[in-house]
Amino acid sequence: MSTRDEDIGASVMPPDLLAGRDLALEARALCLEYSERRALDAVNLQVPRRQVTALIGPSGCGKSSLLRCFNRLNDEIAGCRVSGEVRVLGLDAYAPATALPELRRRVGMVFQKPNPFPQSVADNVAFGLRLAGLRSRLEIDDRVEAALRAAGLWDEVRDRLDDSALRLSAGQQQRLVIARALAVEPEVLLMDEPASMLDPISTLRFEELVVALRERYSVLLVTHNMQQAARVADYTAFMQGGRLLEFDATDRIFTNPRLRGTEDYITGRMRETRG
Amino acid sequence: MGRTVQYHRAALRRHDPGLWLAAGLVGLSLLALAAILSVLAQQALQAFAPTPVAQLRWRGDGGEQQLLAAVVTQDAHALVVRGSEWQRRGAEYRRIARADLRQIDWPADARSLRLRDGREIYLRGDSAAQAPDGSRLAAAEIVEDVASNRLGRTEATGLMLRRAWDFVSGAAQGGGVFPALVGTVVLVLLMSVLVMPLGVLLALWLHEYAGSGRGARILRAAMANLAGVPAVIYGLFGLVLFVNDIGGGLDALLQSATPRWGGGGLLWSALTLALLTLPVVVIATEEGLARVPASLRHGALALGATRAEMLWRVVLPVARPALLTALILAVARAAGEVAPLMLVGAVKYAPALPLDGEFPYLHLSRQFMHLGQSVYDLALAGGDVPRDMAQAHAAALLLLVVVVGLNAAAIVARNRLRERARELAV
Ligand SMILES: Nc1ncnc2c1ncn2[C@@H]1O[C@H](COP(=O)(O)OP(=O)(O)OP(=O)(O)O)[C@@H](O)[C@H]1O
Ligand SMILES: [Mg+2]
Repeated sequence: MSTRDEDIGASVMPPDLLAGRDLALEARALCLEYSERRALDAVNLQVPRRQVTALIGPSGCGKSSLLRCFNRLNDEIAGCRVSGEVRVLGLDAYAPATALPELRRRVGMVFQKPNPFPQSVADNVAFGLRLAGLRSRLEIDDRVEAALRAAGLWDEVRDRLDDSALRLSAGQQQRLVIARALAVEPEVLLMDEPASMLDPISTLRFEELVVALRERYSVLLVTHNMQQAARVADYTAFMQGGRLLEFDATDRIFTNPRLRGTEDYITGRMRETRG
Repeated sequence: MGRTVQYHRAALRRHDPGLWLAAGLVGLSLLALAAILSVLAQQALQAFAPTPVAQLRWRGDGGEQQLLAAVVTQDAHALVVRGSEWQRRGAEYRRIARADLRQIDWPADARSLRLRDGREIYLRGDSAAQAPDGSRLAAAEIVEDVASNRLGRTEATGLMLRRAWDFVSGAAQGGGVFPALVGTVVLVLLMSVLVMPLGVLLALWLHEYAGSGRGARILRAAMANLAGVPAVIYGLFGLVLFVNDIGGGLDALLQSATPRWGGGGLLWSALTLALLTLPVVVIATEEGLARVPASLRHGALALGATRAEMLWRVVLPVARPALLTALILAVARAAGEVAPLMLVGAVKYAPALPLDGEFPYLHLSRQFMHLGQSVYDLALAGGDVPRDMAQAHAAALLLLVVVVGLNAAAIVARNRLRERARELAV
């Protein structure tokens, strides 16, 4: 087992797993350092288009850091250095010519901690639309409603659209930022534990949403909830200590993981969450 | 449970000295402000309070003398009185030792007339005002006719308020301080309008774009040092740069016959003050920008905002209270500054207000009057020390009220914004 653990570099996934699939995101030999402290170590990951890919792994293993490479939000963190290759929808994300606003409009992100702007609920959702140059009041209202409905928040906020978003509960805020990301209709969605504060019903609805999103979006979903990963994801990637250790179809990874580490993590988690 | 309570108690206890110190300091500064205000008010009141008129008899150099005069001050040893000012304002003060005083009455029929030019004449009964040389006063000269010794408390207060109002609104003799009041307020507002965009842009550049590059380091050091440069040096700088170079250049360019921009004026003064307050604004704004949570910035960027859009739509609105703090600090610093203004446009007497009903309403090249300068001029005028000193205090009080008023407005606005910003902590 341990020998296989050493040389997983190239073979984190079965050879033909993604054969013939378009890729939404791709990382090759991706390394990331926060002021000389390595957080990602030669990560290879392929995220297929119009599928849901779950990213699991213990806390601090670099999931959020990896996500931030795909919309280059790491550029904003002082002392953060990235090397290796990142491709987003076939284009080199770190090419000098990449227009970041354009890239980030195509790659939406839902943050680990809900971060609504200190504005009204409606303005929060309309934020990206206005950035994209949408001016028509009617159209904005329509798309705000559609996004809020999709995120399962509409019924709760329909008559407080002008209230400050900061007055919403944490779970509502989490759905608000999901709506905010959906409103601009990106092609890829990076979701960092977007359901961590939701009650079981909302979680269920969120999962239905994610499954529905598959039709049009490519989703990379970080979650600590194994059942959730098992329920919504087509593929699952397992990370540990800054390395991507295993990538496989979700049913395979949950029933028959190739690595001991993966199995321990999943079963440990399963045991913990069940009892 | 018990543990957390204990922890909080410990925290409270640990913070106690700081808390008390802060409360004490705040109390002390409020007390100091109140003390200054009350001293100023007391002194200023003398400018407006009606003075009682006495019929005096005393032993002078050439035998016994008598006079109907206003008693300005009195103590255990002497009186200072002011006789009718037929010649000149401030020329009739007389000091009478108590030892020499034979008789002092407060006749109920005493009247004091105030003339347009600020002189005062004292009469008894309804006798007409007749100068020692026999000439009579034209009725149009007289602006106020008061039975000084018969005033009740309410009448005296009313009179005082009216005089104070005349002083402030410009109806008083010599124009009062109205032009200076207008000049001060217009100057400070114009300064704010100039310094805020510039200061905020600089702070944005420093904090958001420059990083820790060399230019930014130099600019930061410059800001820190500029904050300590004496104000009058800014005045000199403004004189050379704005008035002489830019103003002179403008005049040459416009080929104006008389110097218009090449002399001191409102715009140059406002620019000088803007320069003076720039470091304060930049430093306070930068601090505010630093407190905007990174998560909000990231949220905006992740939606496809450019850096400028993020700053404009998210960061600046959140930092608004800090911007107002910057403005408050700038106004506090600028409103009380006189020395530099004397070099670049404030004058003792300006023929016209910088703001009036004539197009273009705000006259940027005009010279203007300033309350700080009025205080200075009144205090040093020397012609009529008791009255001028009292008026200097009144002008100082007014200046203080203007500064506190402008600050209070900004503080109220900031606190409103802050309430909203506080929700960020959720
Ligand atoms: N801004 C940062 N500056 C410095 N180090 C960071 C920063 N963000 C993350 N790290 C470090 O990088 C490593 C990976 O962090 P990351 O947030 O990517 O983990 P994660 O897998 O998302 O964890 P979690 O499941 O708890 O969210 C951690 O050791 C963390 O301390
Ligand atoms: Mg994370």
